[in-house]
Amino acid sequence: MAIVVEAINLKKTYMLGKVPVEALRGVNLKVEEGEFISILGPSGSGKSTLLNLIGALDKPTDGKVLIDNVDVSTLNENELADLRRKIGFVFQFFNLIPRFTALENVELPLAIAGLGKDERRRRAAELLEIVGLAERMNHKPAELSGGEQQRVAIARALANNPRFLLMDEPTGNIDSKNAYEIIQLIKRLNREKGVTIIMVTHDQGLAAEADRTAYMLDGLIVKETVNRV
Amino acid sequence: MKPNDIFSYALSAIKLRKLRAGLTTLGVVIGIAAIVALLSITQGLQVAIASQLQRGFATDTLIVSTGGGFGIGADSGFSLFVNDTQTISRLENVTAALAVIQRIGYIKTPMGQAFRVTIVGVDFVTYREIYSSTFVAEDGFIPLSPESNAVVVGKRVSDPWRNGTLCCRVGDSVEILWTNTAVRPLRNESYIGNVVAVLQEVGGFSLGGPADNGIYIPISTAQAFFRTDKCEMIIVKLKSDDRATIESTTKAIRDLFGGQVTVTSATAVLNVISNVFSTIELFLAGIAAISLFVAGIGIMNIMIVSLMERTREIGILKALGMKNRTVLLVFLCEAAIIGLLGSVIGVGAGLGLAELAIRVYNVGGFGVHQGGQAGSINIVPVLTPQVFLGAIAFGLLVSLVFALYPAWRASRLKPVESLRYE
Repeated sequence: MAIVVEAINLKKTYMLGKVPVEALRGVNLKVEEGEFISILGPSGSGKSTLLNLIGALDKPTDGKVLIDNVDVSTLNENELADLRRKIGFVFQFFNLIPRFTALENVELPLAIAGLGKDERRRRAAELLEIVGLAERMNHKPAELSGGEQQRVAIARALANNPRFLLMDEPTGNIDSKNAYEIIQLIKRLNREKGVTIIMVTHDQGLAAEADRTAYMLDGLIVKETVNRV
Repeated sequence: MKPNDIFSYALSAIKLRKLRAGLTTLGVVIGIAAIVALLSITQGLQVAIASQLQRGFATDTLIVSTGGGFGIGADSGFSLFVNDTQTISRLENVTAALAVIQRIGYIKTPMGQAFRVTIVGVDFVTYREIYSSTFVAEDGFIPLSPESNAVVVGKRVSDPWRNGTLCCRVGDSVEILWTNTAVRPLRNESYIGNVVAVLQEVGGFSLGGPADNGIYIPISTAQAFFRTDKCEMIIVKLKSDDRATIESTTKAIRDLFGGQVTVTSATAVLNVISNVFSTIELFLAGIAAISLFVAGIGIMNIMIVSLMERTREIGILKALGMKNRTVLLVFLCEAAIIGLLGSVIGVGAGLGLAELAIRVYNVGGFGVHQGGQAGSINIVPVLTPQVFLGAIAFGLLVSLVFALYPAWRASRLKPVESLRYE
């Protein structure tokens, strides 16, 4: 299988006022195409920082992130923006645009990519059907439950046929029943559609749903386990 | 992202904050309206005055008078005489020269009212030749070889209240009065004249030409009545109104009288007035532009607030792959929509304001009057295509310039930090 994402000796140091904080201290990670990997760790372990670096939202202090064998740190702002279209983000707080309907939210990345109105409307409707929201596509986020909002966010992340989905605590803000449905959806996408998924969580039960789990502590991956082959 | 998608995205952001966007637009509306109103009124005034002047002035004339024209200074004792016209008419490029004797006096109508008027003594034939468009009878006719008691009266002398109540008409005998200040004790002189013509209305201004509150008597009558051979001015008609002719003849006349006379060209006066108006226009537009400047700061302010409120949204857009340039365009597009809308409404509002102001001016009787009874000027606001397009372009430009900084800041936001922004 091809390697989609690779982190090589990844380091990230923040300045908190005048105090340097080492969020990542040399992380190495490989994710293969079609894989569902979870990154588990307590808060402050550096997992969100890792996610931001893999998602090309931030630049490392040292080390490399290779996405499809391209070193992210060599890209300029425009190239980074283009790269981000190949990554599907799912955030803990959904991050939908409140004034847009579910359909329009899913259309947004397609519009950014320059697709025509008819084509993106058709594709967005298709995606909302996949996540089971065909009936609610004309509702605005405020009229949807947390679980439904996260499904819209997943549909939006899938819009541009990304190389992989990056999920940051996707069920962190959803009640347990809906959280279960979301994780089933994620697994289905991975199994049936072959979507590569990198999920960050502090929930052990959730992490165990992935094929593989990387354990993070104090800015390092301390252990990796294979949950199923 | 396609341009129409950028536009509709920007529009959706504006719609979300209707009141705030509305108030910001109002700022632009006021700025543009002020500029358009002031410019169209000034231009209307300029057009009205220029057309009045052109009628009353005759551009191919020179006015020769004694002394420094507008200046105040010691009198050299020099005077122009009626027969100086003979010398002047012999000059090159001069087709006619006309002596004018004028005094402030009174006319007493058959009904017994007395009106203060300017009594002007001229040769009717030459005067008619020079001011062919204004020395025209509305009633009666102007005789070519007038009786000595012939009187031609201006429109306002006949109809002083503009309501058709005529105080004197053709055929009336009127008493013409003048106070002789050259003798002691002062003596009131008078004679009975016969109204032979009433002039058609001239309008606001004239330089040497007929005026609505003037009465015109033959030059020989004036010489006898005022007991003088001196005249106040000599009006010179030229072969053409081009600059070279005006300049060379002006110099020739000055030389003729050893620099003791002032020669005023109607064209030169028109040019001066036109220059003055351009300056006034620029000044007023400048003042109005200040309000647009304030509106620009309003736009900048709302954009910065909007930027802060939408930091997270910008983070999302960037995570979804929106380029910095597109973020910049979205923000500039918002400002452009506000600026364009405000400018277009502002032009309309400005014209309305100008109409209103002029209506108040015309009805309210603050008209520009010449003397007590002269006609006021009717102003129609003028909106030239240049002002129309210029105002819209200016409104748009100011909006965009003030949006540049917030838009640039929005485009430079770091995705990670923006997504974390609460």
